[in-house]
Amino acid sequence: MNMHQYRPSGPLARYLTIFMHYLAQYAKIKMAYRWDFFVHIFTEFLQQSVSLIFILIIFSKVPAIQGWTRDQVLFIYGFFLVPFGIYSGFFNHLFDVPEKYVLQGEFDRILLRPINAWYQVVVETMKPELLVSMIVGIIIMIYSGSNMNLVPVWWDIPLAVILVIGAALVYAGVYTFLASLGFWSEGNLGLMPMVYNLSQYGRYPMTIYRGPVRFMLTWILPFAFVGFYPATILMHRYEYLGYALLTPVVGIVCFVIAYRVWAAGIRRYRGTGS
Amino acid sequence: MKLIEARGLTKEFRIFSRSEGVMGAFRDLFHRKYRVLRAVDEIDFAVDRGEMVGYIGANGAGKSTTIKMLTGILVPTAGTVTVNGYVPHKQRESYTKGIGVVFGQRSQLWWDIAVIESFKLLRRIYDVPRADFNRRLQQFDDILGLSSFLNLPVRKLSLGQRMRCDLAAALLHNPAILFLDEPTIGLDVLAKSKIREFLKEINNEFKTTVILTTHDLGDIEALCPRVAIIDQGKMLYDGLVDNLFSQWGQDKLEDIVKRIYMGQKPEPGLAGGGVSLV
Repeated sequence: MNMHQYRPSGPLARYLTIFMHYLAQYAKIKMAYRWDFFVHIFTEFLQQSVSLIFILIIFSKVPAIQGWTRDQVLFIYGFFLVPFGIYSGFFNHLFDVPEKYVLQGEFDRILLRPINAWYQVVVETMKPELLVSMIVGIIIMIYSGSNMNLVPVWWDIPLAVILVIGAALVYAGVYTFLASLGFWSEGNLGLMPMVYNLSQYGRYPMTIYRGPVRFMLTWILPFAFVGFYPATILMHRYEYLGYALLTPVVGIVCFVIAYRVWAAGIRRYRGTGS
Repeated sequence: MKLIEARGLTKEFRIFSRSEGVMGAFRDLFHRKYRVLRAVDEIDFAVDRGEMVGYIGANGAGKSTTIKMLTGILVPTAGTVTVNGYVPHKQRESYTKGIGVVFGQRSQLWWDIAVIESFKLLRRIYDVPRADFNRRLQQFDDILGLSSFLNLPVRKLSLGQRMRCDLAAALLHNPAILFLDEPTIGLDVLAKSKIREFLKEINNEFKTTVILTTHDLGDIEALCPRVAIIDQGKMLYDGLVDNLFSQWGQDKLEDIVKRIYMGQKPEPGLAGGGVSLV
C-alpha cells in the first residue's frame, strides 16, 4: 500500500485538531478585516438589545402576560440566547449548502477529503464570534434570576449544560434537514427565513400561542425546546417539567433524523457539468 | 489485483425538461417531464499500479462523470467499481486518504488563505507526519518553483501558479492514485511543460498511478503510453497510443482522435491489427 499508516491519536482528537486549525485560519482572515469583525459583533449586540427593549417596553405597560412576569420572560429570552449563540456560530450557515455547495459544485471538494462531509461544511462556514450571544444570554439570566429571587441549586449548572446541548441539537437538526433539501431541489427553497422567524417563537412562553402553533413548535419544528421548555425548569417552575426534560431527547431525535436525510442527500449529489 | 477495476460502470442522470412559456412553467408545477441521460454507459476499465492513463473524449462524452465515480463523488447507477481496495462511494472517508484529485476548472484550495496555510491544513486533514510533509514540500518546490507565492492567498495567483499549487496539494499525502481532470486547461506552453515534467517525475519516483483527462493531446503524447477514448458514454478504444498509430496508419494523434470522434473505423489491412476497437 502506498498509503501511510500514521495514526498518532483517535478520530476525536484528530477532528478537534482540525477544528483548531480551521479556527486559527478563520481568526487570521478575520484579523485581516478587523473592522468587519467588530462591526459583526456590534450588530449582533444591537440586534439582541432591540429584542430586549421590546420585552421591556411591553412589560412597562402590563405586569404580566398569561401568568408570566417580566423577569420570567426575560429569563426565557436569556436562556434562549445561549443555544441561539451556538446555532449562529456553527449551524446558521448550513443554509449555504443548497446554493454554494450543491448548485455550484463546491461539494465535490468536500467529498474528496477524508473527513466527515457535514463536519467540513460546519467548520468551513462557522462564525464563532457570534457565540457572544451566549454571554449576553447568561447575563440576562443572572439579572432576571436575581430579580425574581431565584435561589440556584447544585444541579442547575449540569442540567443547564445538558439542556443547552439538547437545544443546540434541535437547531443543528432543523438546519441540517433544510440544507439536505438542496440535494433534491436544485437551489434554495427560500424556507430559511421562514424557519428562522419560527425559531424566534421559541423565546416566548408557549401559553401565548394558540393550540396548533404550540403543537407545531413542540412536535414538528420543535423550537419550543430551544427556549421556553428548558428555561422553565431552570427558573424552577415545574408545570412543564416533562417537556423540559424531553429537551435532550428531542434534540437527539431531531438531529439523527436530519443526519440520515443528509446522508441520503449525499448519495443523490450529482455535482455540476464538466 | 488491479489497482482500479470498474465493470459495467454506468451513470444515468434524470433531467427535468422544462416546458416553454408561462403556461408551461405552470404545468411543470404539477406534472414534470424527465428524460434520462446515460452519461456513462457500461464501461469496463482496469488500471495497474504505476500506470499513466490518458482518458479523452469530446465535450460531454462522460469523462468527468467517470472520474467523479472513480473518486467517490458520484454514486454509480449500475456496475461495480473498486479502487485501491475500496468501493469509493461507500468507503469515502478511508478511500480518499489514498487518492489525490485535481480539477483544472476549480481549485481544491481555500480561496482566502495563504497557499502554505492551505497545505498545513491539508497536512492535518490527511494526517501526514511533519517530516514527510516538509520533505515532500521541498521536493515539489524544487520542481515546480512554489516558494515565491507560497505566502499569497489562492485568489491572487495566476492560473499557472494555482495549478502548480493544486498539484502539490493533491500529492502532499503521497496518494497511490492521482486523478487529474483537465490539468493543463488554459495554461501557456511553458506552464504545461513544467506540469508534464513534474507528473513524469512523480510517477517515476513514487510509482503514483495517474489518470488524466484532457483535450490537449500533447499531454497524452508526453505522458501516457495508454489512452482510453470515450464517446457518448461508451468506451471506443482502450489501449496503447502506439497501436493507434499503427492501426490507423497515420502519424498525427490529433487526426486519429478526430476520426474516432466522428465514428470512423480504421481501414482494414493495416499493420498492428492485434488491438481492436472495443
